[in-house]
Amino acid sequence: MAVDTGLFVVITLVYLVIVIGLGYLGYRRTKGDDDYMVAGRKIHPVVLALSYGATFISTSAIIGFGGVAAQLGMGMIWLTVLNIGLGIFIAFVVFGKRTRKIGSKLRAVTFPDLMGKCYGSPFMQYAAGLVIVLGMPLYTAAILIGGAQFITSTLQIPYNTSLIAFAAIVALYVVLGGLIAVMYTDALQGAIMFVGMTILLVLTYIQLGGVIEAHNALAAMSDLVPQALAAGGMTGWASMPALGSSIWLTMVTTLVLGVGIGVLAQPQLVVRFMTVRDSRALNRAVLVGGPFILMMTGVAFTVGALTNVYFYRTKGMIALAAATEGNVDTIIPNFINASMPDLFVVIFMLALLAAAMSTLSSLFHVMGTSLGFDVMRRAGSKGAMMRPIQVATVAMIVVSVILAFVMPGSIIARATAMFMGLCASAFLPAYAHAMYSSKPSLLAAKLSLVAGAVTWFLWTAFVHVKESAALGLSNLIFGVPAILPAPWQDVDPLVIALPLSLVVLLAGLALDRHRAPLEESAGAA
Amino acid sequence: MFGIPDPAIWVGYLLALGFTLACLVYGLLNWNNGVEGEEDGG
Repeated sequence: MAVDTGLFVVITLVYLVIVIGLGYLGYRRTKGDDDYMVAGRKIHPVVLALSYGATFISTSAIIGFGGVAAQLGMGMIWLTVLNIGLGIFIAFVVFGKRTRKIGSKLRAVTFPDLMGKCYGSPFMQYAAGLVIVLGMPLYTAAILIGGAQFITSTLQIPYNTSLIAFAAIVALYVVLGGLIAVMYTDALQGAIMFVGMTILLVLTYIQLGGVIEAHNALAAMSDLVPQALAAGGMTGWASMPALGSSIWLTMVTTLVLGVGIGVLAQPQLVVRFMTVRDSRALNRAVLVGGPFILMMTGVAFTVGALTNVYFYRTKGMIALAAATEGNVDTIIPNFINASMPDLFVVIFMLALLAAAMSTLSSLFHVMGTSLGFDVMRRAGSKGAMMRPIQVATVAMIVVSVILAFVMPGSIIARATAMFMGLCASAFLPAYAHAMYSSKPSLLAAKLSLVAGAVTWFLWTAFVHVKESAALGLSNLIFGVPAILPAPWQDVDPLVIALPLSLVVLLAGLALDRHRAPLEESAGAA
Repeated sequence: MFGIPDPAIWVGYLLALGFTLACLVYGLLNWNNGVEGEEDGG
């Protein structure tokens, strides 16, 4: 990306100094385990909302999913509907308040710890921790790759150096300052992202002649849809794909449902509900969180689709054709670079850097606490938690960096959707049951967690062709990239695994209720 | 509506704006509710 590199370097250095300063403030305010793990349970509601939103929205949500909107059109707005309706309103009001209250009562400090204490089961804590320790490094590596690619293209720093420096700077304040440092820096980063995306929306509509004019122009381009996309069911950039077509299935099941529902059981987001003093803070955070998410994904998806109008007017081609080497991740940066004033290009790049850092810091923290507290501490050691967790955090960061070096660069958006799908399939029914049952069933929760995680894995490895073909397990065992034909191979694993996990939970509940009277009568006899 | 011909798209935009408005209204109406010790159990 060609920008005024000198200006960007100066602004970035100022930004980094402030970030390190906030990290130091977090370090100074971290006096004990509760501070390190749950920010002392006294975070300000605005900091909570911005931290939640900034963690929720990574660079891949803006660049990757914005690029997908440029390719597939405005139908992506349905993901924004779920992001706000489920990801903010339901998450805070329905799940957040119960999580905060129960978490505070049980003195839970991590998501697996909450699950373990709600069910009175070390297995639940260990299993949830293990899913995070095994699954989250892939997502973290994808965020690292996205950030490093962005720094490399912006500052012309070698990729390997970018990746290591990026990880090291974030690691510094996460390891030393814990969740207070993470949330303070998140809040700053969230504010920068909000400013950047607001300016982007306004300038884009000005550039394209106004709201109605821009939308009319986009709707009029439907005959320019490439043949391959039209064959897959795409009808235009201002209309939904044909119902039931492969593009419709991908958009609705993987992108909208997969990411939209997946967010409800993200450990790095759930833990934030336990960082505030009372439900009033959550009520106030809802007010900030809704508009924040609208201005993140809503703007990214709208501007993404509208880049087609810009590129058609200026270059006579659609956005996909203007992408560098056909990579949709380059569409938003190319658009910004070509159409926006230099100063805004710098502001937007800072917003992207902030988005990557805020998500990364939260993932580092959750991986470290899961390994150091939920998994390893379960194996024996007691006493002070902070030091072993810091060591575990460093270990998980090293694993993520190594993974980032070996994973393909094109995996960013897919790894995001995969991790969200895994979390929802494994955790969501058991988490909801724990929050809303006075006597939650351990048997039902265990069965649901295992069924959700295993089904998600099997569908990913053997049916959902976009992953199964890349993983190669299906080919190795059955000689085909996917064992089921279309349309099944276009259906996201979450759409199968989450309902099954819920059904298994209900079956487990019924079994438990059936077993209880039998045990009572056996006891009486 | 707003230059978007497909109802499946503009309904999505209306819902996104509607949920945002719901967040704003909920936050304002409950601004002082939920202080620790005054909560009703849920």
